[in-house]
Amino acid sequence: MESTTPTAAAAAAETTESLSAPGLRKAGDPTRGSIKRPTELAPNIDVSGLVDSESGLLDRAIFTDEQIYRQELRRVFAPSWLFLAHEDQFKKPGSFFTTYMGEDPVIVTKDKSKTIRAYLNSCRHRGARVCRADFGDTKNFTCTYHGWSYDLEGKLVSVPNKAGYPDSFDTKDWGLVEVAQVQSYRGLVFGTWNPEAPPLAEALGQMAWYMDAMLDKDPEGTVVVGGIHKWELEGNWKLAAEQFATDWYHVNMSHASALMVMSPTGKGPKDEIVHRTGRQYVDPNGHGAGFPVHPKNRFDAQTVHQYYDYDVLRERLGDARVEGPLTNGHATVFPNFSYLPVNGSIRVWHPKGPDRMEVWAWTVLDKSMPPEVREAQRLYNLRTFGPSGIFEQDDGENWSEVQAISRGFVTNGVPLNYQMGMGSEIDDGRHAGQTSELYSDAAGRSFYSKWRDLMTTPAWHEDTE
Amino acid sequence: MTDGIKVADVGEIDEGEAISVSRDVAGTDDDIAILRDDDGEFYALDDTCTHEEASLADGWISDGEVECPLHAGKFCLKTGAVLSMPATRDTKTHKVEVRDGCVWLFPGEPAAS
Repeated sequence: MESTTPTAAAAAAETTESLSAPGLRKAGDPTRGSIKRPTELAPNIDVSGLVDSESGLLDRAIFTDEQIYRQELRRVFAPSWLFLAHEDQFKKPGSFFTTYMGEDPVIVTKDKSKTIRAYLNSCRHRGARVCRADFGDTKNFTCTYHGWSYDLEGKLVSVPNKAGYPDSFDTKDWGLVEVAQVQSYRGLVFGTWNPEAPPLAEALGQMAWYMDAMLDKDPEGTVVVGGIHKWELEGNWKLAAEQFATDWYHVNMSHASALMVMSPTGKGPKDEIVHRTGRQYVDPNGHGAGFPVHPKNRFDAQTVHQYYDYDVLRERLGDARVEGPLTNGHATVFPNFSYLPVNGSIRVWHPKGPDRMEVWAWTVLDKSMPPEVREAQRLYNLRTFGPSGIFEQDDGENWSEVQAISRGFVTNGVPLNYQMGMGSEIDDGRHAGQTSELYSDAAGRSFYSKWRDLMTTPAWHEDTE
Repeated sequence: MTDGIKVADVGEIDEGEAISVSRDVAGTDDDIAILRDDDGEFYALDDTCTHEEASLADGWISDGEVECPLHAGKFCLKTGAVLSMPATRDTKTHKVEVRDGCVWLFPGEPAAS
């Protein structure tokens, strides 16, 4: 475990706002005055009847209902650690990358002390974004509407016609709203609005053991290769996050044509490859990872396969990881960050309403890889899991298919089956934490249990009086 | 006319970069920005933007112009003429010379136009 980027919010408390909740205001806060939200604006639905983890059943309303979706933004996304970016994207002070936390636009940047920090990308004056670029290098974030300008520390440093404001107006009160905690795990930068969230390492728990199989192959760490692909899909974000947590089951059916094309003979993979066995990690915090287990598991791209010395990797990461989660597999870090070790694809499923998501995908590879190996892996990733990749297309088709019909009245009321591998979780003595079978819904049940728990628990920002 | 002040070695200011010389050192009303264009030429302008409080030495320098880092007002490096809204007033130039590998500033003496 490591946490390389210190939390900056505490140090910056005097100059930037941390998130205070709608409806919850500090006495005498000049930025809130007598603003107080009526609780009716954010009604909370009891979703405990929609997720039956014990019977392995799920009500489809969780994929379609607008009120549930808005509650998710408040109770699932706002309190959780969310993936923001890779450290490699911030070479120097002023490097920035804009992304989303739930539906909240954020700027991730490196300040003058080289600390990675994140801010709500919305001007405190009229609310426009203060950074309209996807990424780049800057010295300030200036709103294009009226010109309020903020520095890399989030401080409001320029207000045109400042003389027009009352004496009580103090720029110190109007800095960018800062993400409460920003921490890294092996180059991956996460943030949470929740000042009370446990440290990232604690939230990841034993999931980190599996993540290390992808992120700790190289003592030098990982880098981002090429651009970040972004595409939009019809489909609730959970459909994708759930699949990456718990679903090897679909592989031979959904990806049959891709597997046929990719096999050396063109006639399909051998029976023993199709019917591999493996394990599925089931994390109590909703994370999940599945992977075939075989002594000769390998990276698919030939150049990449030849580059790795599997004996060295065995020494570094242990036999269990090299024969399991190092190569083929899938994983989700709750709620909406997923990755595929075989091609270094990491992705966020950004929610865009109950029925839409945006997929943002990076390719992350070992820093020590020579250029030709990186290029081979980049191309392999594009071919398989890029936006038009032969596997990615199959997955998107399935999620959109499920979503497209789920608003039907009768359809929506028919519960879905998540019963595979009921009660199969064990300590297998070889892999971290509890594991189930390769073909199992166990991590999915855990994913939705965690979702239900968050959805039924008031978040830190809620006024519970 | 003042004597020149040695403000930097040529190699200390990269192309497209700038430094700010304090008014205490320069003996002027404003700090002075020493700006190096992307073709290697040196220029000096009053450091504070004529629009709002901002340092032009922190700005973006290229192609004979400096763009204010805050609101994107632009000035001609050679003449100090304002080139873009929201700035509307010209700024002052100061003479700069490169001699013996050093940058010499003549505060208060306008650059030859």
